[in-house]
This record gives sequence, C-alpha cells and structure tokens, in this order.
Amino acid sequence: MDNDIAIKTENLTKAYRSFWGRKKILALDKLNIDIKRGEIFGLLGPNGSGKTTTLKLLLGLVFPTEGRALVLGKTTNDVAVKNRIGFLPEESCFYRFLNADEILDFYGQLFRISGKERKTRIDRLVEQVGLGFARKRPLRQYSKGMLRRIGIAQALINDPDLIILDEPTSGLDPIGTRETKDIIVSLKEQGKTVLLCSHLLSDVQDICDRVAILDKGKLQISGTIDELLSSKDVVEMLIRNLSDEAITEVETFVREKHGEVISVKNSSDTLEGLFLKIYAANIGNSKTDI
Amino acid sequence: MQQILVIAKQTFKEAVRNKIMFVFIILGLITICCSVFMPVVGDGIEKIKIVESMCFRSITFFGTLAAILLSASSIPTDIANRVLCTVTTKPVQRTNIIFGKIIGFTYIIGVLLVIMGGAGYALIKFTALKQSVQGNNKLLAREKFDPYTSQVTGESAKKIGDVSWIEGGGKGTSVWKFKGLHSKNRKDDLDIEADFLIESKKRFTGKIPVNIKVVNPYTVKVLTESIEVSRNKPGLLKLGGEFLEGSEELTIVVSPENPGDFIGISSDSLKVFFGNKSFEYNFLKGLTIISSQFLLMVIIAVLGSTFLSLPVNILFCLFIFFCGSITDFMRDLSTVINVFETHEHVYGISTVLKETNAFMVFLDYVIRKPILLLSYILPDLKNFSVGKYFIDGINIPYKTVFMSFGYAALYTFFCLPISFVVFKRREMA
Ligand SMILES: Nc1ncnc2c1ncn2[C@@H]1O[C@H](COP(=O)(O)OP(=O)(O)O)[C@@H](O)[C@H]1O
Ligand SMILES: [Mg+2]
Repeated sequence: MDNDIAIKTENLTKAYRSFWGRKKILALDKLNIDIKRGEIFGLLGPNGSGKTTTLKLLLGLVFPTEGRALVLGKTTNDVAVKNRIGFLPEESCFYRFLNADEILDFYGQLFRISGKERKTRIDRLVEQVGLGFARKRPLRQYSKGMLRRIGIAQALINDPDLIILDEPTSGLDPIGTRETKDIIVSLKEQGKTVLLCSHLLSDVQDICDRVAILDKGKLQISGTIDELLSSKDVVEMLIRNLSDEAITEVETFVREKHGEVISVKNSSDTLEGLFLKIYAANIGNSKTDI
Repeated sequence: MQQILVIAKQTFKEAVRNKIMFVFIILGLITICCSVFMPVVGDGIEKIKIVESMCFRSITFFGTLAAILLSASSIPTDIANRVLCTVTTKPVQRTNIIFGKIIGFTYIIGVLLVIMGGAGYALIKFTALKQSVQGNNKLLAREKFDPYTSQVTGESAKKIGDVSWIEGGGKGTSVWKFKGLHSKNRKDDLDIEADFLIESKKRFTGKIPVNIKVVNPYTVKVLTESIEVSRNKPGLLKLGGEFLEGSEELTIVVSPENPGDFIGISSDSLKVFFGNKSFEYNFLKGLTIISSQFLLMVIIAVLGSTFLSLPVNILFCLFIFFCGSITDFMRDLSTVINVFETHEHVYGISTVLKETNAFMVFLDYVIRKPILLLSYILPDLKNFSVGKYFIDGINIPYKTVFMSFGYAALYTFFCLPISFVVFKRREMA
C-alpha cells in the first residue's frame, strides 16, 4: 500500500436505480483519481456532475455499482477508518432542537472522545467558526450560513486526518467564505488532507493544490492549478502611473517585436477583494452580525 | 455501548422536544379519567371493574399508538433530514444505530407507562375508596384454577367439534377435578364459575337449572346445589374457603337437572377461584404485558423504517396494529367465505353444504387463503389483552406474563436480524 496516497479510486462507478430497479442514472462513470496525503484536492464540476456522489461513495453512504475506493488504505465499509475522517455534508441538517454545543457534543460522543477533551474542542471550534454568540440557540433558528459553519465545526470535532467537504462555501457570505478558506489552508499546514468539492471555481482556485473536473459523471481533466491554467505564450504585466501616450508607445513597441496585444484595460479588483476591504475598514467600528 | 446510549438518549430527547408524545399521554389520561363518569349498572364492584378495564384499554390503545407513531417516524425522519447520513459517516456500526434507536424508544415507552400507569392506578384506588362496598377487598386479583382432568360420562354424551354435550335427568354427568388449591388465608372466598353452552328440547327460556355436587376428597364433605346457567351469564356458586379444610383438592360433578335440557362443555367451562392476590402486583403484571405489546410494535416499526418512507411506514404499522387486533375476526371471516364446507351445529345435527364454481375458487385463493395466512403471520395482539383479567378480577398468572413477553421476543428474534441486514444495505442517498 502506497503510504502517500490518502484516497484512491479504481474505476469507481455509480448508477442510481429507480424504485423498480429500472431507470438508471449514471452518476459517476469509471472515476480514477489519487489524492495524496497533505494536499488540498478540489473536485469541480457543474451541478449534477457527480461530485456529491463521489464523496458519498468514499464515505460508504452509497455503494459502488462497479470499481472500488480506498480511503486511508481501507475500503469504504470499514467503520474504524471513519475515526480519522471528518465530513461536511452538502446540506447540513441536524437535530433541529439541539443547540450548537449539544450537537457537537453528540457527534463528539459518537467518536468516544472523553468529556473533558470534548469540552475544550467544542469551545475552540465554536470560536473558530465564529458562532460564539449563538452557542445556546437551537439549530432550527440558525440561518443557512450558520448551519454551514456548525457543519464545518462538526467535521473537525474528531481532529481528523482526512477532511471531506461538500460545497464548504455554499450559503456563506464572503467573510465566511474567506474564513472557511483560511481554516482549510490551516488544516493543510497541520499536515491534513482535504478533499473538497464545489461548483464555485473561484473558491477552489485560491486554495487547491490539485483539482479534477467532472462533467456528467466523467472525469474531464485533472492536475495542479498552474498546469491547468498557465499558457506559456501569454505574458501579463501590471503597471501603475502610465500615461495614455506611453501606453500607445508600449503597444507599438510590442508590435515591432512581433508580439500581439490581446487587451489593454485598467486593473480591477475582484468583487470579493473589494468586499473584504470594506469589511476590514469597518471591523474596528462594529461587530457584524452574521 | 457508549454510542448506543448516546443515540438512545438523543432519540428520547428528540421525542420529548417534539411534544407528540405528550399529546398521546394527555389523550390517554383524558380517557382514563372519563371512565369515572361512565354510567354503571350494578354495585360498586362493577364500577371499579369498569374503571380498571377502561384504564388498561386506554393505556394499551394510546400507548401503542404513541409507540407506533414515534418509533415509525424516527428513523425515516432522520434519513429525510440527512441526520442519519451524517451519523453514518461517524465510526458507528449501523446495527448500533438501530440498537440505540430501539433503546431510545424503550425509554419513551417507560415514561408513557409510568405516567399513564401511575394516573390509572391512582384513579382505581380513588374509585375503590369512594365506593362503599361491604367486604374488605374491593380490588380483586383472584387466583384462578383450571381443572387437571375433566370427563364426560353417560348415555347421552356426544362430542361435536370441541364441545361435549350431555343431557340432564340422569342421562349424563361431567366430572371435574382440581388440585393445588392453596391460599395463605383459609378464610378466602372459594367461588365456582360454570360457563356452559345450553340447549333445550322444551320451550326454551334462556336459562336452565344445573346440579352441582362439590366434594372434598379428604374430608368427604359433600355439597349439592342447583344453580341457574343462562346463555350469556355463567352460573356462580360461592363456597367458603373452609370447605377445603385439610385438602388442596376438589372434585366437582355437574349435570343438567331435567331431561331434555342439554349443556355443552369445553375444557375451560368450569373454573374455580380461590384466594386473593395483591392487586398492586397484578396491576404491574398488566403493565408488563402491555409493555411487551409496545415493544413488539416498536420492533415492527423499526423493521418498516429500514426500507419504507415515513408515511408508508406509519400506514404499515397501523395496518399491523389493526389486523393484529382482529385476528379472530379475520379467521372467522375466512370460515364464512369458505363455502366448500359449511357446518351448522345444532345439537346432534351437522349439515355439510358443498358447492364449487370458478368464482368460489377465485374467492378462496385471492381472499380467504391470504386472509387466513395473514392472521397467522401477523402478531396476534389478543395475546396482550389484559382487560379481561381486570373485568373478572383475576390474578394474572406469571406464565401469561412470560408468554406475552416471549411472544414479543419471538417476533424480535425474527424481525431484528432482517432490520439489520436491510439497514446495512440501505443507501443514505
Ligand atoms: N439518490 C439519487 N437517486 C437518483 N439519482 C441521483 C441521486 N442522487 C444523485 N442523483 C443523480 O446523480 C447525478 C449526480 O448527482 P450529484 O452527485 O449530487 O451531483 P453534484 O453533487 O455534482 O451536483 C445527478 O444527475 C443526480 O440527479
Ligand atoms: Mg453536490
């Protein structure tokens, strides 16, 4: 067994059947991926491309029609290996009558974590996901974003080696998205493996070491972000304080050197970047309620 | 084990916070209390009996309903809410999830029983106190004895089906022997109850005189008495416990007084009651039997939960509850439909009608046989009915308690492994 591999799938295939076993939906078709230990791996693709199905197969929630998956060296129906996995489901639904502390305590007990240890971990995680102000509120009063946050805390309660996150940033505000990404990066720094799936490309772009793109259940392409995005013959320059005449001169110079100017425009921030700037300016004045 | 208890506790919490449970408890309490206002013909004892049986009926009915609705909805709701989806990604065996759920349901049942049973007991005690009945013991738990042998002799003796018939006027007698009649208190009542089928060649008045001779085989004391037995009211002979002096045995000889009168006897037609046991124990035994019915329904609901959706599962369980309560009716129904052989029992006459056509064959295979089969496969909830013991003021034998528990255990033994296998293969999609 290769010790560097956290997850390995071999021809992993899933066909959902209708109730009478007739109509089939091929949700995942012969997926072969290797995810290395210590990396952040992004599974991308449009809605319905089979991302969630892949994660459910890895966790043994559904069973493969064909092929197999090894998670931390074990097959998916090994219960013990789940001690080392944290999972954030796509829709975080919990017992609606429990509050944040109680639900984390419940899951902590399922991991047989001792009472004292549970308490410290819960305190830390609740603060980490920014829910300190709502710990004692029942979950049915939580907003979608708050549920996502408690979902992330729940996935980390057992201090897992492998974290599997299904759409971790869906429903989160930009700050939440940023904080979540920070948590994910810090997990990687602790040497943990993260598998996340998302249809929001920008989310994944910043933090993933490697990505795989699925469409209609088929693996389209996989590799590091740089491999996938860099085109060797295009150069980008960011220049400040250049007059219009100077720009025309540069364009002429480029043509003389047999280059092609593809576009000339003022640099613009991403919306996310703008939002974060505003938030950073306000942060001293008031505590934003989420 | 820790995981099982965690899930059990969570299941219980969810039920409590859902508050459905309390709706049933309150409905149950209301019906229990309503029994006090039931009009009663007869003396105070009758009133107490009504309250007792109403109490058990409402605990059984609302308790079973609550057990069904809570346990049938729990797992499907958790699956629909994706809670179980998350739980199964934790290191929990799926069998432990089921065990946890079942234990959680037993907590709930326990609370139901304590609240409703407590209220029922208080009400019975209260009613007993208020009824001014002569005699010291109003809450009866009489020990019932069945004969160890019974035989029918005489020229008129004739057996039709399970019933033996004898004619009066010296043409036939039945002899019953009882043993092991012991009681701590010799002063206890000794009652003999005779429940016979009756027929008469004469203009029939609905009741006939029957001679009963009671013999104490040790002291050779003999008591002969004539009692009235009617169609729907058993004959009753009251003796004092002193009659049994020096002995624990009794021989009883019964025959109709007049020629032309017939009595039909089956093995449990004659009963002897001697001694009064603690009502409190009897009440607890009643609750135990009811709780085994709850348990049985929980097991069935859990089985359904592993592959049915919420509404279907609830319907499934209610269907079983309904059919289980009418198994006798289902069996009767299948005899009615069975037109191949129709027996009509009149004394000495048995007619057999035979008739066959395609429609009848169809009816036989599509309706009669399935109904009959169902009536044997489905749990027979009659085995858990305790109302009759309290109506008659009879002490529930320990054997009955064990049997009902065993009956529930038998179904558990078959259903639980199926639940495990099905749930293991269930996809949490
Ligand atoms: N339980 C299910 N039964 C039948 N089809 C399903 C089920 N779950 C998902 N699918 C189908 O499988 C395909 C992939 O779904 P999914 O993995 O959820 O996509 P994604 O997470 O990438 O949006 C979709 O076509 C979806 O309709
Ligand atoms: Mg998805």
